[in-house]
Amino acid sequence: MSGRVIVITSGKGGVGKTTTNANIGTALAKAGKKVVMIDTDLGLRNLDLLLGLENRIVYTIVDVVEERCKLKQALVKDKKNPNLCLLAAAQTRDKTAVTEEQLKDICEKLKKDFDFILVDCPAGIEQGFQNAVAGASEAIVVTTPEMSAVRDADRIIGLLEAKEEIKSYKLLINRVRPNLIKSNDMMSVDDVVEILSADLIGIIPEDTGIITSTNKGEPIVNDEKSLAGKAYNNVARRIIGEDVPFLNLEEPQGVMAKIKKFFSGLKGGEK
Amino acid sequence: MILANLYNKVLGFFRQTEKEAEESSKDTARNRLRVVLMQDRTNLTPELMERMRKELVELLSKYVEMDKEALELNLEQDGDQVALMLSIPVIRAKDEEEIKAALEADKKEEEEEISDDDTEEENNTYKSADNEEEEEEKHEDKNSTEEIDESKK
Repeated sequence: MSGRVIVITSGKGGVGKTTTNANIGTALAKAGKKVVMIDTDLGLRNLDLLLGLENRIVYTIVDVVEERCKLKQALVKDKKNPNLCLLAAAQTRDKTAVTEEQLKDICEKLKKDFDFILVDCPAGIEQGFQNAVAGASEAIVVTTPEMSAVRDADRIIGLLEAKEEIKSYKLLINRVRPNLIKSNDMMSVDDVVEILSADLIGIIPEDTGIITSTNKGEPIVNDEKSLAGKAYNNVARRIIGEDVPFLNLEEPQGVMAKIKKFFSGLKGGEK
Repeated sequence: MILANLYNKVLGFFRQTEKEAEESSKDTARNRLRVVLMQDRTNLTPELMERMRKELVELLSKYVEMDKEALELNLEQDGDQVALMLSIPVIRAKDEEEIKAALEADKKEEEEEISDDDTEEENNTYKSADNEEEEEEKHEDKNSTEEIDESKK
């Protein structure tokens, strides 16, 4: 087996890197792939919280690097899906505790046993970013339709292009609000794609369900009804290689809108 | 008026149920966060907590018979201070002979291991610290009762 190593990065903090990581990882595992997620945000780990695995961590990536345990011992299995594992970051150390070479080495070893290695990158463009990118050959750049996030994404894309190891990168636009786009108060997906001139792999709508799913430590892809969950599932399918059309986010979702739609459908039938 | 009241009541009912549903996920978040922050601040991993729990069970079993599985050991925050909260469901206190036997068995083990000078010294320091605390508490109690007396006057 030779797994694909994908780094999930953004430059700016708070745009949803870790949420994206948790959801794509869970969705890929649900599709039957063997997935391991590596949290490289040393000192500020959070991927464990989003997956609800915070109480199961015994060893971290720093323990692996400093040879206090074997790599396999440090992999925390997901509660629901045995295909899914987490290699947690150490909370008590800083970004210098692991080097680029060491991360590369870990990725190489994991490639043998997993289909996908998802690397959760810290915010910023310093050593933490360099480490996270070191072992990857693909990247997903997460951004939102906001000026600062797009600007930082552009900077990240520039850095990724300069890296020989990164063979391809894709854009994921998070927290899209169709209503605001409709009223011309938010840049549209097309605007962002045009500005960054990058290939798109996903459009995720803003979804309050993300808040409750984070509270519970359960990725939203497990919620079949959630639109953001569907969108993340679609991203996973595109990563596997399926051709999945983007969701139509403009479709009204509220109860009143559904009733309206139902009646307008009836009218159409009478004709 | 009556209609308006009814309207508010119905609305209030729906709001309440909504709030309750919200709170449940909010509460999980708050509780999970508390536990994680305790771990971060104290550096006590779940593994270490479990080890501590096991050792406490071993120690306390000498004196009381308890529900070992139900023993709860949690870190809790009280203002600026982190407290270690221990809850032990006691089935019954052991009688003197049982305690003696347990302690003697323990002594034998210790003797078999290494010399135990260090541990004895540690025990002594702990004892004196405890005593000091107790004395302080007594002082505080006296002070507070005195204050009350004065206020009565």
